[in-house]
Amino acid sequence: MSKITVPIGPQHPLLKEPLAFSLTMEGEHVIESSMRIGYVHRGIERLSQERTYVQNVHLFERVCGICSHVHTTTFCQGVEALLELEVPPRGLYLRALLCELERIHSHMLWLGVQARNIGFDTIFMYAWRDREIVLDIMENLSGGRVSHAVNIIGGVRIDLTPEHHDMILKQLDILEPQIEALLGVVENERSFQARTRNIGVLSLEQIRRYCVVGPVARASGLDMDIRRDAPYPPYDQLRFRVPVRYEGDAWARTMVRILEMVESVHLCRQLLTDLPDGPTSVRAKRRVPPGEVVSRAEAPRGEVIYYIRSDGSDKPARVKVRTPTLTNLITLPDQLQNISMADVSVILSGVDLCIACADR
Amino acid sequence: MNPQTSSSPLLASLTHRIVQWARRKSPWILHYNSGGCNGCDIELLDLLTPRYDVERLGILKEASPRHADILLCSGPVTRQSRDRLLRIYEQMPAPKWVVAMGSCSCSGGVFQGGYNILGGVDQVLPVDMYIFGCPCRPEAIIDGLIRLLEKIK
Amino acid sequence: MSRLLTQIYLFEEIFATLQLAFPNEEFSVQGKPIDDTFLILAPEMVRPVVELLMEKFDVYHLSTITGDDTGNGVRLLYHFWSGYGITLSTLLPYDNLSVPTLTGLIPGAAFYEREVHEMLGVTFEGLDTPGPMFLPDDWEDGAGPVRYPLRQNANEKS
Repeated sequence: MSKITVPIGPQHPLLKEPLAFSLTMEGEHVIESSMRIGYVHRGIERLSQERTYVQNVHLFERVCGICSHVHTTTFCQGVEALLELEVPPRGLYLRALLCELERIHSHMLWLGVQARNIGFDTIFMYAWRDREIVLDIMENLSGGRVSHAVNIIGGVRIDLTPEHHDMILKQLDILEPQIEALLGVVENERSFQARTRNIGVLSLEQIRRYCVVGPVARASGLDMDIRRDAPYPPYDQLRFRVPVRYEGDAWARTMVRILEMVESVHLCRQLLTDLPDGPTSVRAKRRVPPGEVVSRAEAPRGEVIYYIRSDGSDKPARVKVRTPTLTNLITLPDQLQNISMADVSVILSGVDLCIACADR
Repeated sequence: MNPQTSSSPLLASLTHRIVQWARRKSPWILHYNSGGCNGCDIELLDLLTPRYDVERLGILKEASPRHADILLCSGPVTRQSRDRLLRIYEQMPAPKWVVAMGSCSCSGGVFQGGYNILGGVDQVLPVDMYIFGCPCRPEAIIDGLIRLLEKIK
Repeated sequence: MSRLLTQIYLFEEIFATLQLAFPNEEFSVQGKPIDDTFLILAPEMVRPVVELLMEKFDVYHLSTITGDDTGNGVRLLYHFWSGYGITLSTLLPYDNLSVPTLTGLIPGAAFYEREVHEMLGVTFEGLDTPGPMFLPDDWEDGAGPVRYPLRQNANEKS
């Protein structure tokens, strides 16, 4: 059979981001693949050297629209360590509350996109309808649905009133049965399983060699979660489980993400019940003393790491961002080996690509 | 069928009015992210979901440029994206309109001055409607699309 | 507090093993926030030290490789995670921006090394670079304003 090359160009219906693939196929099977990223490279690391720390919080929020809060959390955490600031516990709890709400919204978004790529539009509509509940909570707290601008260097700029408290708990009570219903569909529905079982299998050995992070790693048996292993406050005072599965295929990744959503709902309830009193932020100096810091956090897609070096002025000398999608992209050529064309969409969306994060 | 040049102007004029009515009542959109952070993209995808539901306005999100009437651009234009954006615009059949969605595609947004950024979409394509916001809310996108449809009446 | 003690104790062991294995080389250690220890070494020692860490201490998770133009040379930082952070820090002089690649030991280092190569002009011997990753296709022919965007003198074309 002769080989043909199918380009899946930067504009394609699979994902909303530009990513170019070139698949060499023999009949219905993909033999080789190559990819090109860099359509969304905005040069944020260079831009950050020309802006002050306060302006950089605004800039790093826009590295990615879906996981924007976790980027600013990691950045502010790093700068606060350089300034040797103690963020008040109430501020830390509110930061974590938004982190967990963002995790729920990101996984719901992903579930809808994955279902759409499989052809199961019903789950897309149900998941995104229930995602509106989470976006409403975030809008009530911060004023924005997708971009919250809650973090400042020294804490958070919002506070929780008793009405917010009751409203959030009530909305979480509405959300939880919907997530369990989706879990039931994924576990039991034969058509969903037929399209995701044994697709894109990655072994534990491959995960370790490629240093994969996040739900993709946890679906293949690697038990790593920055919230538990490098606990940044307040996660050192919270109790939660980290779901791990061992099958390593697209179905296992779906299960891990839905189970993480269930855990996040429990974490939100814990954060609200144990919320300490007090101020939510402290005042930070404009000039940061010279030093360097490595700051890590657990984004919905995995470990995000920031390296910040300051030279004593009010602008950083170097900020390095490594997002989890860049690490997970390297597994794609392995996964796209010897599969049929129909499974390409399942594999591409199973890794939960956020090319805007990867390109920066 | 052009009413000015056709042999039966009345029939041509009637056909022309029906075609214009159909264009306004069912504009199909194509979305391309030329360098943005995905914030505006997920608000756009929100339009297809039960809460905002633009299908009641006849709007469908298409996969191919050859089926689309309106090109919705989000994000600033990066150097690598520039040629692809032009090629997508050329592949769309006339009449076509371009909508710049979000602050980044209006002017470059928060990334102005970057070494890989050319600016907003109007550096590359003729823009018919600007929708502001960072990210722009789904209500704002619907408002912008309705205003565009009134403009093309 | 016990995490900090465990970290210091484990790092003492690593430091002692390194001094035994490479008695003629100089290493220095600095603790850094938030949970990291920086080990400063010479560029040609990076690959042997990584091999030793992988073999004796089961360190396999490379978080990222940072390239940093400090004005005195280009610093390379290899951030590892193994229960706590270990960062290997090495300074490359401007006239010899080259270091052996880690992709033979850790295939996941490929994207990070390609990024440092593109943004700062560091050569990783043995690394496969099939083309630009983040920068546009016509960047090397001078389409952009600077050749290496993260260099300090990036305002002039170099």
